[in-house]
Amino acid sequence: MAIIRDMIPAFELFQPTSADDAIELLIRYGEDGWVLGGGMDSFDWWKERIKRPTAVVDLANVDALKGVRSTADGIEIGAMTTLTEVATHPELLANYSVLTDAAAHVATPQIRNRGTLAGNLAQDTRCWYYRGGWPCYRAGGNTCYASAPTAMNREHAILGTNRCVAVSPSDTAPALIALDAQFVIQGSRGERLVDAEDFFMPPSVDIERMTILKPGELLTAIRIPSTWSGATFYYEKVEDRKAWDFALMTVASAMRISGGVIQEVRMAANGAAPVPLRLEDSERVLRGQAPSDQLGIQAGEVAVRDAQPLRHNDYKIPLMRNLVRRAVRGTEA
Amino acid sequence: MELWRRAANPWGQEVLIGVSWDLMWAAVIGGLAFVAAHAVWAKWIAPAESTSTGGSSLAGLPAQILRHAMSERVFHWGMSAAMLVLLVTGFAPVMGIQFAWVTIHWVAGVILTLMIVYHIIHATFWQDLWAMWVDKADIKAGVAELRHMVGRNGTEVPKAAKYPIDHKLFHHAAAVSGLAAIVTGVLMMLRLETAFWTANPYMFADSSWGVVYVVHGVSSVALIALVISHIYFAIRPDKWWITKSMIYGFIDQEKYVQNFDPNRWAVGGAAPQEELVPAGVGASIPEDGGADAGGSEPAGDSGDDQQASEFGGQV
Amino acid sequence: MALIGQDISPPDLHAKITGRARYAEDFRADGMVFAKLLASPMPHCRVTRIDASAALAMDGVIGILTADEVPQSETGEQCLTNHPHYEGEAILAVAAIDETTAADAIERIRVDFEPLPFVLNPLDSMRPGSPNARLEGNTRTGRELTTLKWTEEDFANAPEGSMPMPDGEGKANTEWMVGDIDAGFAAADLILDETIVHQSLTHHPLEPRSAMAYWQNGRLFIHTSTQSLVRTRQALAAQLELDIEDVVMIGDYCGGGFGSKISGSIIQQVPALMSRKLNRPVMLRITRAEENYLGRARPGMQARVRIGFRADGRITALDLFALGDGGPFAGGDQNGAANTASLTYRPLNMRFRGVGVFTNTPPKAAQRGPGGAQIIGMLEPLMDKAARELGVDRLALRRLNAPDGDVEYGPRGATLTSVFVKEAIDLGRELFGWEERLARSGQMNGTKRTGIGVGVSPFAAGSRGYDGLLVIRPDGKVQIQQGLGNLGTHSISDTARAAADVLGVEWDDVEVVFGDTSRHLPWSSVQAGSQTTHAHTRANHAAGLDAQQKLREIAARDLGGRPEDYDTSGGRVYRRTNPSQGMTLARAATRAIELGGRYSGEEFNEDLNDMTKASVTALAGQGLVAAARDNFGGQGGLQSWVVGFAEVELDVETGKVDVVHYTAVTDCGVVVHPRSLGGQIFGGSIQGMGIAMSQKWVFDPVWGVSFAKRFYTARPPGILDVPIDMQWAAVEIPDPQTPVGAKGIGEPCVGAGSAALTSAIADAMEGECLCRTPLTADVLLAELEGRAPAYGPLDLHV
Repeated sequence: MAIIRDMIPAFELFQPTSADDAIELLIRYGEDGWVLGGGMDSFDWWKERIKRPTAVVDLANVDALKGVRSTADGIEIGAMTTLTEVATHPELLANYSVLTDAAAHVATPQIRNRGTLAGNLAQDTRCWYYRGGWPCYRAGGNTCYASAPTAMNREHAILGTNRCVAVSPSDTAPALIALDAQFVIQGSRGERLVDAEDFFMPPSVDIERMTILKPGELLTAIRIPSTWSGATFYYEKVEDRKAWDFALMTVASAMRISGGVIQEVRMAANGAAPVPLRLEDSERVLRGQAPSDQLGIQAGEVAVRDAQPLRHNDYKIPLMRNLVRRAVRGTEA
Repeated sequence: MELWRRAANPWGQEVLIGVSWDLMWAAVIGGLAFVAAHAVWAKWIAPAESTSTGGSSLAGLPAQILRHAMSERVFHWGMSAAMLVLLVTGFAPVMGIQFAWVTIHWVAGVILTLMIVYHIIHATFWQDLWAMWVDKADIKAGVAELRHMVGRNGTEVPKAAKYPIDHKLFHHAAAVSGLAAIVTGVLMMLRLETAFWTANPYMFADSSWGVVYVVHGVSSVALIALVISHIYFAIRPDKWWITKSMIYGFIDQEKYVQNFDPNRWAVGGAAPQEELVPAGVGASIPEDGGADAGGSEPAGDSGDDQQASEFGGQV
Repeated sequence: MALIGQDISPPDLHAKITGRARYAEDFRADGMVFAKLLASPMPHCRVTRIDASAALAMDGVIGILTADEVPQSETGEQCLTNHPHYEGEAILAVAAIDETTAADAIERIRVDFEPLPFVLNPLDSMRPGSPNARLEGNTRTGRELTTLKWTEEDFANAPEGSMPMPDGEGKANTEWMVGDIDAGFAAADLILDETIVHQSLTHHPLEPRSAMAYWQNGRLFIHTSTQSLVRTRQALAAQLELDIEDVVMIGDYCGGGFGSKISGSIIQQVPALMSRKLNRPVMLRITRAEENYLGRARPGMQARVRIGFRADGRITALDLFALGDGGPFAGGDQNGAANTASLTYRPLNMRFRGVGVFTNTPPKAAQRGPGGAQIIGMLEPLMDKAARELGVDRLALRRLNAPDGDVEYGPRGATLTSVFVKEAIDLGRELFGWEERLARSGQMNGTKRTGIGVGVSPFAAGSRGYDGLLVIRPDGKVQIQQGLGNLGTHSISDTARAAADVLGVEWDDVEVVFGDTSRHLPWSSVQAGSQTTHAHTRANHAAGLDAQQKLREIAARDLGGRPEDYDTSGGRVYRRTNPSQGMTLARAATRAIELGGRYSGEEFNEDLNDMTKASVTALAGQGLVAAARDNFGGQGGLQSWVVGFAEVELDVETGKVDVVHYTAVTDCGVVVHPRSLGGQIFGGSIQGMGIAMSQKWVFDPVWGVSFAKRFYTARPPGILDVPIDMQWAAVEIPDPQTPVGAKGIGEPCVGAGSAALTSAIADAMEGECLCRTPLTADVLLAELEGRAPAYGPLDLHV
């Protein structure tokens, strides 16, 4: 049957006002259901007619999922909070600027006005083989076209690949990993909490999903502990254009430096692997050391130690190494 | 139920990409249904098993008769472990149990492949390949067994050679499925990036790959059913003595006499029962003892068994 | 005060800003149905079977149009085809009561294809035994499709990573030489030998090429998106074998074309033919992904160039061998590129050899500065390389090689009306602060290294011989008829000012009529090749003079004296010696109607185009009708120039380039509309910056299908990618051969923007010219880090 793109097929739209109702709907429709947040990822899929849910559960009217709240131990951001709100929230700007930096680097102002924090985290990969409807592993097939010797894969992964070499496109994920955030997942059996770095699904485990969310589950909130409030942060996203682009590489870090020594550090990268990576080896290199360019170089080397380039993405190795180095140097100078 | 999984290739042409996972459930259900049916039959319907020794004499038989040499047992259990790992790592994720399965799967696959290669070479050159051949006697015995099972108890079921027909058929089914899975699995590994080669999905046309995946799927699904039935029989109390022989290597002389035709499985190389070697003197079996045993029938095991029985003789 | 040279608000401004402007896809008609296209999924194939029965049986599906029902064209392209030559080529169209139904219906159609061998990269099709993109051949020699291959030896003879440059017969299908190339190299003190690769780029105008059509009493009414109105009407009438009078084309607005909608687009035939078949109005809205396929692209180029320089920087020899990507139907831009190189650098000896190679990629067409933008972007960094090696100032080297007005260039010694590029270089040197900025070249600011670049870019800038038509109405308004398209360049209003200035009327008293061929428009140039500023200031100047002459005659007739005693301005025609003696234009218009004959349009000059004559006849009696052909004449062609200067900062740890500053100076004659000119210069330069830095198209080489088909993957530059600090200036020396003195400007800015950046980036790379576009972070970082190059030296579509 012939292929046609660029025309959203019909579906049934639900606009519940509570997370519970949304979950009930999602359970009812199972694999045929679809969670609609800001729609910045969803509309593309529907327009391509590749993902074709029969029931769309729009969370726009679930007010409980919106907004930034202070908690006893930090801050909680509702899943449906827009990226603009995240990027401009005074408390976040004051104490968690690595996240506001990250949110401000997403796409364009228009997309940030519509796009939500949860959507930015849970969005699908932008591998153009997969998004083009090719029957790859991630689409339930048995091929990775992007890792073929002839493939066009400059945007693809250098680390953590497992058959699939697509990268996570989230700009905010590395910032939240650096902040040691926890994600609140609500399902029919109640709530569970996962660490930011555990929210993402490596292809070695489930090649068809980007996150651990199961059908019928919702990411409802992000909790940021006060542990890293006001720490020394670094965020840098390298992209082809200064707006409306996905990262070639992103590095985010949070450090506690006192007495001229890095007491504690959390560092993460995205654009390198199918999931946002926490750079624990680099953290180990840094912990207890006085920050210096030389130390940054060491941490960078460690970060890319296991990197395996594809045909066109070798540049990501020096890029990742250099961004880690810059995070330690602490300046974009 | 869908049999195959199909997808549109990048040009929109429909291609085969594998078997439907419905088949996996069909195999699981089919295997379990067979087990249940057999269990019911065995408990309530089956005619009483003859425990007679069929006129055979125990005289001169060793108390413990070697059935599986150490090397065979090691091979069997090693292969079983690899196979189980392969099946679990292959199918558990499909059933929704998620873990990083790919590396375990292909490593187990490589181990299995090496073992099978060893087995083929060993069986071809050092073992009696013909012992696994299904001959006329086997077929007769099989037919009789079936008649017996459905209660047409006219004739006595002939006793088996070392490997009864059901064992042989199971082996061959497992061998065909296993080899198909191995060959296709090795081809599939070409699509994984390794230190030795670069992943290349374009080594074959997508339609050829579809066949590879289908064969791998069908054979693996078949193995599910085979393994279920195999394990079932292995743990049945009435078959436990065979299972034990795969653990310890030996069967009791009583079981031997009850189940096997000494003309077709000459223990210790002695064919006619009159010449059976007395218990405890296995070590003194002449080297050429089985050379003309069984007429045109393939003789019993050589070399390996020989040494194993020496070893066994000391148990 | 003359209107030429003033900033004005164009008449369509408010409608555009407020959203009231209606583009082709905004129109609706009674009983209108929507069409959707079924496109080829393969780069080259034959349709062997179509089964649309399931689709046609659906509720709401009205009909189908197939390739058997559409006209053939000379190039081999049809609006629908059973032999697609690129992924995305339209095979059939289905009409339904809405687009959702039409799309669902397309999905129910079964089409069987026979895949055919395909070619994406021109060089691949030059290898012996390689496939051809067209079954008939891989290139066009004259009008014939032929096969041209190089030999294994030709490839083996090329140095590693270099494009072959085979000598001898039959290696190219265009070849020319001026002077003696060997002597030129013999006289050179420095010879550069480089392989250059320029990407193909989709035009990607914001408005896709949608169209809506219906028929009334045998006449076709079509709303379409086109650069040129009356010429598109003419083209469509010819394609559909209709009398031009039977086509009414409405195109008040066009959301950009960049050369891809010069005479509309072939796909606009689909709603026209479908509507005739179904007897219902048909709307075909083209989507962004379809626009990527159907919307044309700039031809990429793979080339080898050898340039010989004298010690002072003068170019003694330039030997260019270029393969142009022709797509499935066209011939590539390499011939134009050679001409531009010949003009810009005036090599004392030059040889050009070229092959336009067919590929199974979306069709190629002129894109803003076709050929010129590519070659300037590729050669300017080489000028820098030579200057560096010879120890001469980079700008001085360009000035030394730059032409004057007496230049003769190209294979046949083409001449020009005027050239003031040296003045532009000199003004730019001052405005940009060349010396001060150059002092920063190579300096590190943290991890960022400064690079300074310059691009000297000419392009065609005018044509002659079109018609101007206006009516001075009895209400005193001057109604100027414009047959151009409203492309957003302000040509429809800006060129009208030439007529208004002759008559001396205020802009508020001018009405410009455009956008609908039923409104009696004159014969016009296409809105392309930067022609309109020149061609239609002249045509409207001519119409203005005709009107002025008629006003004088009417005044002399009524008020006494000779016509030449009268002058016009301030809405009056009056006696020069006694301005109070005169009449208003309103009065003169009424008198013209009363007088009839040539005054009211009952009679007209025979040298007018037939289309203009028909329009004059239709307007006759509505006032004083003036219509005149541009008979001002002139010697030589027209070229305008833009010299672009850029300062960039290259982050040596990421490969990212920031453009810090950009200055552009133009030689385009008299400035007609400063704000609009600035818009053209900045817009075109930014388009060029995108070519240099980010914009691309990407194909999978195994399947021959494209990936960069949406804006976010094609990556045209965004406003944040260009500096806030941009300035422009014009040398403002009138072209001596045209009455208004203005030349076109749309196109040379692209090459200037692109070349200023390729030059500046090479400077920031310490003189290393990577000789390819786009220079993205991966390409630069691989080089900076001394790693394997991101792409092979001749890789295309990456």
